Amino acid sequence: MKLTFSLAAATLLAASTAYAQSYPSEPVTLVVPYGPGGASDLAGRALAESAREYLGQPVTVVNQAGAGGMTGARDVTQADPDGYTLLLARVGMALSPAVNENSSVDWDEYTFISPLEATPMILAVADDSPYESVEDLLEGIKNDPGAMSYAASGATAIDGFTVQSLLADVEMDPLTAATLIPYRGGGELATALLGGHVDFLAIAAASLMPHIESGDMRPLMVFSPERMETLPEVPTAEELGYELAGQVIGWSALYGPPDLPEDVMNTWAEVMEQVAEDEMWLSRADDRGSISTIGSVDMETYAQEQYEFYRALAEQFGYLE
Amino acid sequence: MGITRGLVITVLFGIVLFLLIPAYVPRPRFIPGFAPPPDMWPRTVSMFGMALGILLVGLSFSRKTESIADPEDASAIRGDTPLVALLTRFGWTVLAFALFIGSVMLLGFLLSSILLLMAMLILTGYWRHKVVAAIVAVALPLVLYLFFSSALNTRFPVGSLLKAIGI
Amino acid sequence: MLNDLLVAFQAVATLENFLIMAAGIWGGVIIGAIPGMTGTMAVTLALPFTFYMQPIPSILLLVALYKGSTYGGSVSAILIKTPGTASAACTTLDGYPLAQQGKAGKALNMALYSSCTGDFISNLSLIFIAAPLALLALRIGPPEYFMLMIFALTTVAGVSGRSLLLGLVSACLGLLLATVGEDMYGSFRFDLTMDMQSGLAVAPVLIGLFAIPELLKIIVFRNNQSHKPMQLGDNHVTRDELRRSLKAMLKGSMIGVVMGAIPGIGPSAAAFSSYGEAQRSSKNRENFGKGELEGIAASESANNGCCGSTMIPLLALGVPGDVITGVMLGAFMIHGMTPGPMLFENNLNEVYMLFIGMLFSSVLLFGAGKATMRFFSHISRIPPGLMAPIVLALCVFGIFSISNSMYDVIVLLAMGIFGFFMFLFAIPAAPFLIAFILGPMLEENLRRALALSRGDPSILVSSPITWLFASLAIFVVVVTIRQQLKKAKA
Repeated sequence: MKLTFSLAAATLLAASTAYAQSYPSEPVTLVVPYGPGGASDLAGRALAESAREYLGQPVTVVNQAGAGGMTGARDVTQADPDGYTLLLARVGMALSPAVNENSSVDWDEYTFISPLEATPMILAVADDSPYESVEDLLEGIKNDPGAMSYAASGATAIDGFTVQSLLADVEMDPLTAATLIPYRGGGELATALLGGHVDFLAIAAASLMPHIESGDMRPLMVFSPERMETLPEVPTAEELGYELAGQVIGWSALYGPPDLPEDVMNTWAEVMEQVAEDEMWLSRADDRGSISTIGSVDMETYAQEQYEFYRALAEQFGYLE
Repeated sequence: MGITRGLVITVLFGIVLFLLIPAYVPRPRFIPGFAPPPDMWPRTVSMFGMALGILLVGLSFSRKTESIADPEDASAIRGDTPLVALLTRFGWTVLAFALFIGSVMLLGFLLSSILLLMAMLILTGYWRHKVVAAIVAVALPLVLYLFFSSALNTRFPVGSLLKAIGI
Repeated sequence: MLNDLLVAFQAVATLENFLIMAAGIWGGVIIGAIPGMTGTMAVTLALPFTFYMQPIPSILLLVALYKGSTYGGSVSAILIKTPGTASAACTTLDGYPLAQQGKAGKALNMALYSSCTGDFISNLSLIFIAAPLALLALRIGPPEYFMLMIFALTTVAGVSGRSLLLGLVSACLGLLLATVGEDMYGSFRFDLTMDMQSGLAVAPVLIGLFAIPELLKIIVFRNNQSHKPMQLGDNHVTRDELRRSLKAMLKGSMIGVVMGAIPGIGPSAAAFSSYGEAQRSSKNRENFGKGELEGIAASESANNGCCGSTMIPLLALGVPGDVITGVMLGAFMIHGMTPGPMLFENNLNEVYMLFIGMLFSSVLLFGAGKATMRFFSHISRIPPGLMAPIVLALCVFGIFSISNSMYDVIVLLAMGIFGFFMFLFAIPAAPFLIAFILGPMLEENLRRALALSRGDPSILVSSPITWLFASLAIFVVVVTIRQQLKKAKA
């Protein structure tokens, strides 16, 4: 009796894992290594929506949060390289191994499929702050080292590096000139500034835009290759001549487990070409305040540049021996 | 009972305080000197825990204060079953849990959980009702498997053994 | 404003919206009632569907699922001593003893009345006092959070059972286990394995601690004397009982509203605080934990009291307080609306439609609760020898699917064994859970406050709000010590 049942169960399993004749013959799983509802999750879901049409199979989003995104990333690198398990990568996938000696996944333990989007970050102060420009703010920090505080999701998180690289650009100690107050997540960070608990921050645009629009926060500078359409009068870090800060930006990309077969890569190359022009993808990117970067850079080279950039910063700032 | 419990608690927090915290809670150098480092809180809590454990031991020695440390006679819950029988049943359950975790990679999630459920039904003594128990043990995991993999896209491990024989 | 609300009423009162909300509430109650399936899971499950729906119905669906699952958690807490959601943990303390006394129906009804009351009051406060509550929420900085958490933690005294010392031991264990994983500055603590870098999640710890020890007890002690099926028996809450619990219910709703409005605190902390407060001020103090209806009223009114007000920081500030409101934020943005101060200017009509829909959902919750109760009450007829393994299977599947990892299942089973040892040593489980949930907020806000003040501890008592919570906490501690001393003398 037991045997019959296990046989029945086995047949059922067999039915659900069809043989891959031509890719894709079954739904593709996109692992988002962060919780549902956040900026990365929305990016993943937008990609899933737009890609299904061109892929001919649904793309299902699975959230697998933990350890700053590295839990989900590690799982994908250990998955079968059959193209049915892919990863929505973020800047963290290059940043984390750069600043963490024993990171669970190295920056290059993936197959790089395509870049997706750049997500600008904004340096902002509260509306009642006396600082009107970046120079004012830096002047204030210089006058009393350590007295001013900023919120970030961790010392070695991307929104900590925004501020630290800016401080390094003007030859201040990136770790002590302003005091880092760690918070968890974009919502908490924004509240800390709104409630007047910290003096400034530089975090993802999506979390700050509503407060900038309502006039509760004042944007001083954007971390983005070009000015944001919604904030045409706010200068970029690059324009203001901040060399390191000019290179800090958030991004998302599509990764797979190492050694993806060629036909999978070719299929996705075609799909991404079409997604790049897809109206829904573009308008959803606008809604999130990000810029689609599909097809603009070679992802492997870009990831390596990013890794080396943050590695150098980490060494310079003293996070690594 | 009171003394054993107090000792176990003291030792448990002691292990955390003297062995685990020094080895597994690094002090990153970049945290500013005035900000409390990551080990401040676990240290405080385990010191407090150790103090409580020692207090429990101390209170158990005096007849007068014993009632504060040991509110109820725990043996009342245990009944009169011999200790060996209790330990054997407990051992089997823990073994079943461990085997379940070990077998997931080999047999897959569905098959392993069917086996786990059967083991539990045998251990609770419900296996007497063989037909009902067998139906539950097979049908429930199957239904849950189908529900979660279709509704929530859960990716359950298929199991390397099943894969190897080509299923 | 009333006129606008009337217009919104007409727009929202369509059959379609009602069906969506009813389905959401009902689905939420069922998912919440199944151990191992959480409200977050319900909301995530529905998120893809909301892409294809109109903005307001899609948010209403998510809200309905949230409310339903918050109530649903109490059903399994009462019937099988396993809280379906973390916020129902306190409901277990009195609900299960009542079920054992053959008063499961009474407990379920009381939970439903309290949930609906808390829910309705919470919705009203969202509609009429969102702005002041949002301002209050902004005022709560690290020192205020810290003091508030200290106050909430004093509930440990109330749920410790017979020995306060053992309750404190339990709380210390909870505080310690909560530190596993990524530290706020980015390093890792207690990462004995790579998996432990992601820490211990609330769901596997909660379920492991409550459900699995029950299974182990049945296996190890074979205490089949309770084999006779529990009778639902005494079904109705009498008018007298309702009057007696009314104070706890209203106070619980208020606690829920305030704590829900502060981002990050959530329904579990509200339920704990409310339970502690009800116990302190009740005439039947001694009966708490043995099957006291007031206890159920306190915890259930508080956790559903969060459901409406948790939308306040989301709508008024654009700040999601927890994962569920985080998903709602995503749903708003998919439909091109950005929650935050501008929402009330740009989409006032939609906001009012949402408000009206939420008011209706309180009523729907009542109906769905009543209907589901009949169905679920049959559960108590299943003999424990069959029920406990079934619960284990549900938990194993549910917990696995939260993050698709065996690690969480291992945590679940390991916590179960740990919980069984706690039971053997007569260490109560509830203080552990309170400390485990509040611990990270307590620690992180203490460290944040000290980093802000550059190490000066006086920041912890620097504002009127901190004085308020600090004096409340001191008051509770003094009262507890006096009660303990009296008990020791007697």
